[in-house]
Amino acid sequence: MNRFALRRTLGLAAFTGVSLAVLGADRVLHVALHRTQVYSGFALLLVCVGLISFNARKKLPFLPLARASTWLQVHIYAGLTASVLFFVHLDGHVPAGALNVTLECLFAAVTASGIFGLYLSRTLPERLTYHGENVVFERIPALRQRLAAEMAGLAEKSVEESSSSAIADFYRTKLQAYFGGPRNLLAHTFRSTRPRARLLAQADAMRRYLDAAEERILGEVIELVKLKDNLDAQLALQGVLKGWLFVHIPLSYALLVFAVAHGLIALAML
Amino acid sequence: MADVGCGEIERPQRWAIPFDPEMSEKDVDAVLGFEPFCRIDPEAFSASVPLRGVLRNDCAIRHYSAGDLIVRAGDYGNSAFFILGGAVRVMVDPLDERLLGRGKTRHRSFRHALARLWRRPHVPEVRDLDGTHRGGPARGIAPNAVPHMFLQDVPAILDQHRTARVGAGEFIGAGAVLGRTERIATMFAEEPCLLVEIRWQGLRELRARAPEIKRHIDELYRQNNLSTHLRQTFLLAALSDATIEELARETQFLSFGSFEWQGAYKKLRDAPVGQELAAEPVIVRQGDYPNGIFLIRSGYVRVSEVYNHGERTVSYLGRGQLFGFDEIRHNWKTGESAPFAHTLRAVGYVDVLYLPTPAVERLVLPAFQDRCLPDDRTHAEPTSVESAYLQDAATKLGPDVLEFLVEHRFVNGTATMIIDLERCTRCDDCVRACAAAHDDNPRFIRHGPEINGFMIANACMHCSDPVCMIGCPTGAIHRETAEGQVVIDDLTCIGCATCANSCPYDNIQMVNVHRADGHLYLDAHTHLPIQKATKCDLCFDQLTGPACVQACPHDALTRADMRDVRGLSRWLNK
Repeated sequence: MNRFALRRTLGLAAFTGVSLAVLGADRVLHVALHRTQVYSGFALLLVCVGLISFNARKKLPFLPLARASTWLQVHIYAGLTASVLFFVHLDGHVPAGALNVTLECLFAAVTASGIFGLYLSRTLPERLTYHGENVVFERIPALRQRLAAEMAGLAEKSVEESSSSAIADFYRTKLQAYFGGPRNLLAHTFRSTRPRARLLAQADAMRRYLDAAEERILGEVIELVKLKDNLDAQLALQGVLKGWLFVHIPLSYALLVFAVAHGLIALAML
Repeated sequence: MADVGCGEIERPQRWAIPFDPEMSEKDVDAVLGFEPFCRIDPEAFSASVPLRGVLRNDCAIRHYSAGDLIVRAGDYGNSAFFILGGAVRVMVDPLDERLLGRGKTRHRSFRHALARLWRRPHVPEVRDLDGTHRGGPARGIAPNAVPHMFLQDVPAILDQHRTARVGAGEFIGAGAVLGRTERIATMFAEEPCLLVEIRWQGLRELRARAPEIKRHIDELYRQNNLSTHLRQTFLLAALSDATIEELARETQFLSFGSFEWQGAYKKLRDAPVGQELAAEPVIVRQGDYPNGIFLIRSGYVRVSEVYNHGERTVSYLGRGQLFGFDEIRHNWKTGESAPFAHTLRAVGYVDVLYLPTPAVERLVLPAFQDRCLPDDRTHAEPTSVESAYLQDAATKLGPDVLEFLVEHRFVNGTATMIIDLERCTRCDDCVRACAAAHDDNPRFIRHGPEINGFMIANACMHCSDPVCMIGCPTGAIHRETAEGQVVIDDLTCIGCATCANSCPYDNIQMVNVHRADGHLYLDAHTHLPIQKATKCDLCFDQLTGPACVQACPHDALTRADMRDVRGLSRWLNK
């Protein structure tokens, strides 16, 4: 068993153990006529504060606060435990009232986005790695501009060298827009290669109108199209990897605010 | 360094901060009165770097009482010593670590670390260069001598350990400085001693301009260090003192490749594979008669074998590792004359100790006649029996990874940043953490060559042979004494870019520096920006260790020591 499998097994075992303990404690307190929802509510709030503090940890890398990978593991299994606590806290009731319904929706959204984010974090890096050259996200616009300039240069060169407008026309009708900005991001996200295949097929179909010099230029054009396709894929996949956090983190803070408000109101009504 | 206007300062010069500000002309005269210094021809030195300037600015006079530690084995040395008076004991056997009082690198306090939250500068690369003339020695450039540590009960130590006595007129500690490696032996004052400590930059000038000094140091190395070196070689450790001494007399020093190999490497970096291989000096060729054992003293070698129409790299060997023993032992046992099974090439600059076959057969092999050979598989750090090591490297890393590591010279790294791209989510938490630990200035680029889904990022590798240190005129780039990280002292860096140009991996950047108020520091005469060299310092003064590793939430990043093939393969195959 490798290190990650062992870690996963231990994490799941700990989660199962803690969940069973939570369920058992809830039953015992219930039988003893305690207000179990107060306990589970407090526990849930504490766990939520702990989960959110992972983001604060990231802002303090110069303090000896354990490795971020350890925090992430705790974050994952504590998040799952929070779900168990949440259901214990609901105690079979359907939330009523705007505040409680909002709170439930927020919890569901935060949990779902977290699980989805974990799935993305474990699947997209591999796709990014083997799609083509790895590029730094922030450099993509500059690289795209460079490709666009090279493409425009090839179009001009084809006219100058062969007095033919075939490649220039293709550039004007198809490629200028393609190189002008990010394209086919959804297709890349969902693994569709259709747009790329269509563009390459259109380029290939032009060969019958080209002389030998233009064929050489077309070969360079096709290479640039492939590079641009990789840039779009990198942008799409890295964008998704970064983007899900823009959903998960704001929702988490909103959840915390609503949870504190809910707790204060609940305590006031005890 | 006088402040001559808003943001304008005098450009830092080589000897702006001398090694020892108390070194006087009288001290220089005193040093020049000793052999071999008195025989040095001052005319051989340039006008900009005169002999007296070297002695005045790159040397320091040190007084030691009996029992005082001078250098400790395992520490990294940036200076050598010349004994003016008294005697020094060199420990042949290792001394108990508890007696050495070794401290760790001094880290920032928790309060200091926390203060980063509200003391973040508003502009990049902020420095306080105006204060240099007020301070004492620059941080990190303090002499590498052990400060006021002394050994108790010296007679007992002399009784229980083998030591060698070194007297006046001899150099000590030069091997570590010249090899840019850790010290191999602890040395202490046997009686009150007067030493002159010479930092690397000064020693380099003296060796280059004064052949008598070079001869003197080389001869002393043979006399004093070679036996220690051989004795510390795993395979030879069991030999008697007399045998080691005899073996030392038979041993030859060989060097391969250019001392400043990085220039040639940079030119060949993008050349076709065969061309690069052809440029590596051959030490031993596959199929040749095994004429001796080659013990790598410094640098790295590529071990390869003919494979169809090309050559396949099967391993790389570094300092302390042997080549050729298996063939010689086989021939000695069987009476056959099997040739070398592999080719050995110098990767960069390599110092080799050559032990001729007749000496090995006469002095080394009989010691193992009645015993099994030591098995390096049980040894924490593989250092000898090369067949097991070669097999390990080839099978665990795989031929493609091996070729990649050797071709790109990444084998030189002791803290190479490797990123597992199949786990890396490109979140850049590592870059942000690095920036946060360095006043908002990231010290690496998350980009670099890739192999099998792993990236070697553009971050200083803290090389076992840091060629960036060779040309530094001031010693600003140096090794931390305790743990050997290669770091740059800002105050003594004069921005000459020699280190940045020397780094074969382009991992050192030159940056324009600013005052806290946002103004660029400018040269008072040329009005050009003052630059400083920057690079990853492995967070040597941080409480956390490398911030990049600490910050990665996905365990996708590590700092790997390439000498540890097993550890490396464990991480790559995790």
